[in-house]
Amino acid sequence: MDLYINGAGLICAAGSNAADDFLKGDISWHTDRLEAREPDYTGLIPPMQLRRMSKAVRMGVAAAKTCLAQTGIEKPDALSVGTALGCLYDTEQFLSRMIEREEQQLTPTAFIQSTHNTVAGQIALLLGCNGHNLTFVHRGHSFEHALLNARLYLNDHPEHVVLAGGIDELTETSLLLMQRGGIYHSQTVDHTDLYEKCRKGSVAGEGAGFFTVTNRPLTDTFLHIKSLHFFATATEQEANRQVAQFIATLPVAEDEIELLLLGMSGDQRWSGVYDHIRSERFRNATKSGFKHLTGEYATASAAGLGLLMHEAVSGTHRRIVFINNYLDHYSCWYLEQGC
Amino acid sequence: MKQTAHIVHTGIITAIGNDTAACTAALHSGVSGIGHSVNLATRWRDELPVGAVQADNAELAELTGVPAHWPRTALLSAVAVQEAWQPFSDLAGTLRAGFFSANTVGGMDLTESFYARFMKDRDLTGLNAVCHHECGAITELVARHFGIGGFVTTISTACSSSANSIMMAAQMIRAGMLDVAVAGGADSLSLFTLNGFNSLMILDRQPCRPFDNDRQGLNLGEGAGYVTLMNERAMQQCGAQAICTVSGYANANDAYHQTASSPEGTGNILAMRGALATASLAPADIDYINLHGTGTANNDSSEGKAVTEVFGNSVPAVSSTKAYTGHTLGAAGGVEAVFSAISIRDGVVFPNLRWQRQMEDIDWQPVTTLRTGQDIRHVLSNSFGFGGNCSSLIFSKQG
Repeated sequence: MDLYINGAGLICAAGSNAADDFLKGDISWHTDRLEAREPDYTGLIPPMQLRRMSKAVRMGVAAAKTCLAQTGIEKPDALSVGTALGCLYDTEQFLSRMIEREEQQLTPTAFIQSTHNTVAGQIALLLGCNGHNLTFVHRGHSFEHALLNARLYLNDHPEHVVLAGGIDELTETSLLLMQRGGIYHSQTVDHTDLYEKCRKGSVAGEGAGFFTVTNRPLTDTFLHIKSLHFFATATEQEANRQVAQFIATLPVAEDEIELLLLGMSGDQRWSGVYDHIRSERFRNATKSGFKHLTGEYATASAAGLGLLMHEAVSGTHRRIVFINNYLDHYSCWYLEQGC
Repeated sequence: MKQTAHIVHTGIITAIGNDTAACTAALHSGVSGIGHSVNLATRWRDELPVGAVQADNAELAELTGVPAHWPRTALLSAVAVQEAWQPFSDLAGTLRAGFFSANTVGGMDLTESFYARFMKDRDLTGLNAVCHHECGAITELVARHFGIGGFVTTISTACSSSANSIMMAAQMIRAGMLDVAVAGGADSLSLFTLNGFNSLMILDRQPCRPFDNDRQGLNLGEGAGYVTLMNERAMQQCGAQAICTVSGYANANDAYHQTASSPEGTGNILAMRGALATASLAPADIDYINLHGTGTANNDSSEGKAVTEVFGNSVPAVSSTKAYTGHTLGAAGGVEAVFSAISIRDGVVFPNLRWQRQMEDIDWQPVTTLRTGQDIRHVLSNSFGFGGNCSSLIFSKQG
């Protein structure tokens, strides 16, 4: 993998990177979830359209527009989107009405907006983008596969700009069912103990992250993804082996890594892998988690990348390793910051 | 040096048959699979005909030895993947393999049954019914059962989903990233999609009539269709013979409306022209177009005008096979890729069933009787969908 990331649009529990209070306002830690702090959409989405948009769609569209504005372009050549669960809210709306009304007198609006490609379709519609348009729905690798697809597209269209993003929304029902299924816990935690105490389950989150992806830098500040390795495994031993292999094939020495971003979520089932990396590897790197700012969700790696882009503006760290997992789907990234 | 993505085998299950041979026989004999669903518990059973696979979940599970409690989409996928992959599963060990699947409903058939009870009781247990709700979960169940890949992914772009999974698999083989791939998609009927399409008022209450002037809408179908793609190295190792190649592909967006196609078929034109460009072919090189041809007023009009725009006065043999299978949504691109491969292999063009009246907005007509003994060198297959997603694939005979 060899890609340049030129601009980012991010909406998560820490706010929107387009807003002045990004990472500054309070994150609501007094409930069992980290809901996205949505921006003022005025200027990003026409009000008539905004009214009809579910959270997944409006966050996705706004993050896409923010990203394009940051990059200084109006329209990308192609769109590549990842979402594990798609438009859950509209899915549930249509499903519940269908059951209540016993399959009669249904209006199509929620059904239309429930399809997994709604976010990518709406972005294309609002931007008038007739280019390549794909949506990946592959669990904790949905966003990574969207980036792989951007790579494949750019092989055939070397001069083009791909807008790639990851998005997932949380609903009351999805939260309840995923808590009951043990994916999320239902405790009230705060950022001081998220990573330190052993719990089964992680804190629920949601968000959207979009990026302009190219073969060469378009902007003064950019991230160069020099390798992206992803794998799925249920065992800690195999995860450790794959991570070690990724580190062994880094194009620079392990000790030269300056920033290590980790996708640990406080879930004891996956913390062993991160504990090992934190204590044994990358001894010269500043080590940081990010899910205290985003919560955990299947496309949280897009939020991690968005935070790295935000960080890139200050230009402190040149060589970066980012390791993430969502359940048994892992990704390992090596990035270099340019400016 | 670019590799070639050869199709060496197929796997399919639809309303007209449980494997490639059975579907081919039905296509030849003109037998449609449209009828009334036995397995879908809907109030519309007698009013809305569908292209249902003629097997209940237990029977489907028995065909592959997977658990019958899997979502029906996974059961259908497993049947077609087994056919596509089994001849090579013991031979492909050291090859870099990928599994590219697609669907739109995921585990919705189980979710909708769970959710009806959950609405009455929020404390309801039995989450096994929803743990495979995600589209990606369907793919993983099947990939793990057959031990395929390497690289495993799921695409969901509504009705063009599995055309895109074949496109991506072909790209990765051509780029030298994989040696072998099983690519396509699956979708089962569900109350959710049946009622969704019904609320859009685009379901025909009779068996559908694609590209007929009096068409009244589409019939939903279900099934799965996959092609096995290999590069030369994999073919040598597995002793596989090529049926055809995936020579062209393109994906474009209509950017007109969330569910409707633009009247002039902007996205359709871009997809067809893009696929021709990738394959380095001229319109005159195409011998057969397997149309998206759902039978809705909107699709067939837009697609018809787009075909005219791209092919001008020399439109090749064209037909929609959806009058046989119904519109299998996320499986449609895979199902029709299998039909396209059969068309090349056997030199046949399948008829567009139930066609009677010439459409007013186009000046060409689909093939309405079986043509055999044809030299079909290049087939264009269209898949268009909600969200403006338009994809076209080109399959070519070698040499």
